[in-house]
Amino acid sequence: MSDIARDAAASRLGTVPAGADAFWRKDDWWAVAIGLGVIAVAAALFTFGSSLAWLAIIPAKWTTPDQLASHFAANWPRYVAQFALWLVVVTVALVALGQRLRDTVPAFVFLYALSVAIFALGQWASAIRYNLEPPLVALVVGLAIANLRLLPRGLDAGFRVEFYIKLGVVLLGATLPLTLIAWAGPVALLQASVVSVVTFLVIFFAARSLGIDPRFAAVLGVGGAVCGVSAAIAIAAAVGARRQDAAVVISIVIGWAILMIFALPFAAGALVLPAGVGGAWIGTSEFADAAGLAAAQAYGDIAAKVPGAHAGAVDQSVAAFTLMKVVGRDVWIGIWAMVLSIVAATRWEATGITSRVGAVDIWRRFPKFVIGFLLASIFITLVAQRVGHAQFGHAATTDLVTPIKNLRTWAFAFGFLSIGLTTRVSDLARVGVRPLLAFSSGVVVNVGLGFVLSVLVFGGYWAHLGQ
Amino acid sequence: MRPGEAHCIACRYFVNDPAAFERALPGLAVLSSARAASRVGDGLCSHHDRHVPETASCAAFALVAPHG
Repeated sequence: MSDIARDAAASRLGTVPAGADAFWRKDDWWAVAIGLGVIAVAAALFTFGSSLAWLAIIPAKWTTPDQLASHFAANWPRYVAQFALWLVVVTVALVALGQRLRDTVPAFVFLYALSVAIFALGQWASAIRYNLEPPLVALVVGLAIANLRLLPRGLDAGFRVEFYIKLGVVLLGATLPLTLIAWAGPVALLQASVVSVVTFLVIFFAARSLGIDPRFAAVLGVGGAVCGVSAAIAIAAAVGARRQDAAVVISIVIGWAILMIFALPFAAGALVLPAGVGGAWIGTSEFADAAGLAAAQAYGDIAAKVPGAHAGAVDQSVAAFTLMKVVGRDVWIGIWAMVLSIVAATRWEATGITSRVGAVDIWRRFPKFVIGFLLASIFITLVAQRVGHAQFGHAATTDLVTPIKNLRTWAFAFGFLSIGLTTRVSDLARVGVRPLLAFSSGVVVNVGLGFVLSVLVFGGYWAHLGQ
Repeated sequence: MRPGEAHCIACRYFVNDPAAFERALPGLAVLSSARAASRVGDGLCSHHDRHVPETASCAAFALVAPHG
């Protein structure tokens, strides 16, 4: 008896009744609530002349081990307080999402301790010389721990990649003024839409020409063109794909996404692309938000070390990626589901299951954390207007925006480390040659077309993002 | 969808509990989540071994036995 059949045999144990599948059972809404809560507290403190900066500490740049030791000796109460805050917030959210308390707490203790170590290593003055960008180190260390089976599997309860990444994206919204999103959003939407549609069609027709079932081909297509695993799962249900088809797409997306976390930053670095251009290219070429943010942040670190680079290279790379991937690609998931559902019902061989995804699913499947990202940007823009742009500039950078940015960096660090800690190669479904070939043909087009649009067509645009 | 209709959400073959969903699809939580808003109430049909929305229906529908 398969696991899924056993879960079904357990009757209601495997089914969440309608209505119980509410917003508090979704990690999107928890990320939105926590992210906006942090931003509101930071803004309130700033308004009353205080700041969240004491709590939002990050390791300082260091050259000698003594400097690092001095930093921790002087600031350990701040790290303890920050850890306690994260522990409470993360535990409440993950337990509400269905994780076990006894697994979540030790998992987060481990995650935070390892994140501090990797963060500190990344602040070493010579780290860039040895390619020790924190997202890449986090991934390698996490992969080693997971695949050498050094931790109990139950600790995955605290290694929730999506939750941390969505929380980081909401916090990121508070560091981008609404005017910037309004300025760059349409270009991101246009560019991402072109790349998404072309990539989907290439993968779909490549798969069909290789004799792959149309439902499987559609799931492969959206896995490469929209938002990776999340799109694959949503469209698998919309078209009624076989369980194993989605499992294969998950394996392929994970493989390519992890490969691209390393390949794209180094390729962009070899081409000496400006940070914003590299971030936009990664945004059109990566397959998942978490993997893409890891690549974009790593590339920002690389671009920042180029002589003459501006101080905000990391922020520019991450912002360009987010606009391209999250705003430009992810938001279309409901429309893809509706269109492909109609095609499946009217054009493809029947499965015996009657299903039609309607227009209401465009909203139901909308990635709600994007709303949090936009609300955060609107909120911080209103605060800036209320305070007045002249006074807002310097004080807000150090007392309001920087603390939020630091907490965002922590959230992303937890997410990047969790990617590696949950990737067990032996768990993944076996992948056949034909689906791999079909998906890979889309990767080639995706990366090539993304480069043309990000570098050659809109390069000047992305190079000056936020400046 | 009205109460009493023979949709997947009321079928004994339907599984959409997030933990069960992630067990059935190893690797899902690496770059996504069964708790993502975009998954809505989708689940797996253990009869057809396919992904289905909770609002889908088919001839093999079998009502979940009531508790107790």
